Amino acid sequence: MKPKLIIGILAIIGFTSLLMYNFGESISTYTTFDEAETMNSAHIPGVWDQSQEYGFSMETKQFTFYMKDEAGNSRKVIYPKPKPNNFEQADRLVVIGELQGDIFYANEMLMKCPSKYNNADPAEFTKASES
Amino acid sequence: MLGIAGKWLISASFVTALISVVFYFFASQRDDDKYFRIGNWFFGLKFVTLIAASVILIYLIFTHQFQYYYVFNYTSLDLQAKYLFSAFYGGQEGSFMLWILFSGLFGFGLMRWTRKPYQGPVLFFLAITQVFLLSMILGWDLGAAKIGASPFRTLAAEMPDAPIFRGNPGFVPSDGSGLNDLLKSPWMMIHPPILFVGFSMMTLPFCFALAALWKQKYNEWVGPALPWTLSSNVALLTAIFLGGYWAYVTLSFGGFWAWDPVENASLVPWLIGTAGIHTMIIQRKSSIAQKSSILFAILAYMAVVYETFLTRSGILADASVHSFVDLGLYNQLLIFMLFISGVGLGMFFWRYKELPNPEKESKILSREFMTFTGAVLLLVLGIVIILGTSSPIIGKLYTANPTPPEISFYNEWSMPIAIIMAVFTVLGQYLFWKKYDAESLASALINPLLITSALTLVSIIWGNVRDIYYMIYLFAGFFAIVGNTFVMVRLLKQKPKLIGGSLTHIGFGMLLVGVLASSVYNSPLLDENTSNYNAAVERGEVKDEMGFTVKQKQNSFLLNLDQPKVINGDYVVTYEGYSTEDQNRPGQQTYRLKFEPVNGGNTFYMNPELYPMLTSSNAQATQWSVDPDVKSGLLSDIYLYVAGSAYVEQRNKMQERRNQSVMQNVAARDTSEVPSEQTITFTRGQTVEVGSFKIKFVNYAATDTTELPPNTTIGVKAELELIHPASGDLVTIEPLFAVFSEEGQSYIYSPPAFVPQYDLEFQFTKINPEQNSIDITITGLEEEYQEEWVLIVAEKKPFISVVWGGTFLLMIGFSISIFRHWGRERLKS
Repeated sequence: MKPKLIIGILAIIGFTSLLMYNFGESISTYTTFDEAETMNSAHIPGVWDQSQEYGFSMETKQFTFYMKDEAGNSRKVIYPKPKPNNFEQADRLVVIGELQGDIFYANEMLMKCPSKYNNADPAEFTKASES
Repeated sequence: MLGIAGKWLISASFVTALISVVFYFFASQRDDDKYFRIGNWFFGLKFVTLIAASVILIYLIFTHQFQYYYVFNYTSLDLQAKYLFSAFYGGQEGSFMLWILFSGLFGFGLMRWTRKPYQGPVLFFLAITQVFLLSMILGWDLGAAKIGASPFRTLAAEMPDAPIFRGNPGFVPSDGSGLNDLLKSPWMMIHPPILFVGFSMMTLPFCFALAALWKQKYNEWVGPALPWTLSSNVALLTAIFLGGYWAYVTLSFGGFWAWDPVENASLVPWLIGTAGIHTMIIQRKSSIAQKSSILFAILAYMAVVYETFLTRSGILADASVHSFVDLGLYNQLLIFMLFISGVGLGMFFWRYKELPNPEKESKILSREFMTFTGAVLLLVLGIVIILGTSSPIIGKLYTANPTPPEISFYNEWSMPIAIIMAVFTVLGQYLFWKKYDAESLASALINPLLITSALTLVSIIWGNVRDIYYMIYLFAGFFAIVGNTFVMVRLLKQKPKLIGGSLTHIGFGMLLVGVLASSVYNSPLLDENTSNYNAAVERGEVKDEMGFTVKQKQNSFLLNLDQPKVINGDYVVTYEGYSTEDQNRPGQQTYRLKFEPVNGGNTFYMNPELYPMLTSSNAQATQWSVDPDVKSGLLSDIYLYVAGSAYVEQRNKMQERRNQSVMQNVAARDTSEVPSEQTITFTRGQTVEVGSFKIKFVNYAATDTTELPPNTTIGVKAELELIHPASGDLVTIEPLFAVFSEEGQSYIYSPPAFVPQYDLEFQFTKINPEQNSIDITITGLEEEYQEEWVLIVAEKKPFISVVWGGTFLLMIGFSISIFRHWGRERLKS
């Protein structure tokens, strides 16, 4: 074999393995609060726990609420930004951040909303109310 | 009826497309013009039937026929005509139709301009892609399998189990659920069509490459394919730019690019298409690189189909905020993708041995090598992004429930690739126009390098760049700008028509510099207290109640009405109130913020907006959406939005109160929540401040006898002005006070007057003749008076203008090249 070809193949193998390694490092798995205790950055899906207080504090400029993860545990979540607009509508949340003690500090929050792209809810055939 | 006609038309379109495929096959196989002409007729018929179906869909949308799922789901009665029209391609099914229409249109272009022997095969492959795309909107139910989702299916067919249809099969909703408010933007009207122009044009190099493989004519196809690829490239770039600009000025995520899978879906075909352009240019000039040109043309279209599969199959539902949900097309899309990849790569390897090999290896310092390297780098970047975007699939190798990769994954890989690319653009462009050896090239590059170093040094000092990696990156970016400018200046003197390439590469360099400056060096605008707090957080000095160190910084500041605050030491910012009148959207507020630069300079205003999202709000809760305002400058932009305001909070409380009073009608009423009543005594002409309002008793007003009960002894109205200083609203109210007698008894009649926008109730309860004053009882005023405030999130983003400038140069450069290559093609024919 030509040396050039060998170098080329080695380069491709090296590049691919580095890329795949790095890719594997940069993704993580969706998890629960209990398992997040040991993680630096955890992605936790769950639903808003409406039985607890929630709201944005003008003083600390934080939005606080409780979220129930998929194992059914409810934890306090602190999000350092104003309440996202469609928070109440979201049927699923993903918080990304770090657990400290009993409190989850979310740096990012994704909301899965019943959007245009989803099937319309047959129960809501009236026009969305004007407010 | 029309719906059935529409469905039949789409079916007819599908069948005629299929027939045209057959005729094109024979035309190509036997090189027979007769078959080719028949194929063209069926191809045309396919186009006409699809146009008819589209017209029906548009008609259904404009006549508000909400019994159709598509019409119900994307439109409503109050939608303006322009958005009714854009609703045609607002959903999955309609966007497929638009895509097919465009690629059909380009099919006519191919019939007209393609020479033999490619004619037949090119249209054969184009028709095949049309068959696949048409199958997505067929809506055939074959029992065992459903093929496609028809845009003409009815609501009842879509949700047969809904209770309302079980009771009343003929039910037609009175109004649709409307277009998502965020999509009601002029940018969104033009973004999708341009994107589909790009997608459909990217089909053409694919068809040409396969035609070349079929006919074993590996050289000449590049001539006609190159202008199409360049055009596709410009269309995709424009679409990406429009999407980014729309995201920047109307969404609040704070930037123009977020590596969202759906954004990547248009970037990857662009990158691979651009790689193809590079090798095609080499092939045209030097008659080498046939293999890679064919491969890139195949890969670019595979990328289009693969990204379509990702965004439309529901796979990314969790990873992206705006991907589509699965319409049951998963398998079909998968087959489409496998077919395109199978046929494309299959034909490539089938002919691989036959494909011409370059007679000798090109030297490193040759335009062929440099350009080829550039193409490979573009491909590598495309592969990295595809990998990241495919995390829901490929991530399964690592973990059962993979998340999307962190943004840093994209940045860490794209940065070094971009650096190498930037350097190669200069070397490549130098070598492209003139032969150099190492020594002469080095001496030619001395001046550009000197200027680049100076520019880099200045920006490092001026921008306080500390990171060595960023320094290298900046150097590479400036090198691309300066080096290519040298080339361009030289070309301008000789042959100005040829500057397309160098202009493009200057644009690329500007894009690199602009992206770094605007994303790494954007800084939040904050007041002094908040900055001090953030500095303390950074030092690890702030603890929360639990004793943990606070790591999260604050990124917003509060402004009270008419109380100026110094922001970043640069501006005195004053919140001057808001207005709710004459707005584009019902319920929208436009806020008024005055910016006075501390070091002199002109005072300016910023007017961010907040509005209720009508399509997703309901009686229980209003969803508010923000529309940021951007003050663009040459050096930096100020980007800002209102994250919350007293007005919005009031509205939410009002709604809560209403909901509670509705809920509590049956159960015992919670008396603590009854809105407060307040009685105010006024004399004529007097103005009283109550909470956030001023109320003026202007005068008494005459009454109309029809308003009064019989036997009225006194009947008078008070003319009151309710002034809301924050919004500048003035409402005139005239509550009535009457005394009437019935069976010898006197009664007071004082019906309350409502002010719906503030949920207040005014009752004229008493006249005090001695003091010449009146009593007005007001219900619904906040007990605790809240100040008018707004919460602002603002950022300073340096050099966004450079990003846009770079993008424009790319577009202009590519367009110049289109005209050059197209012009040469026309001369040949």
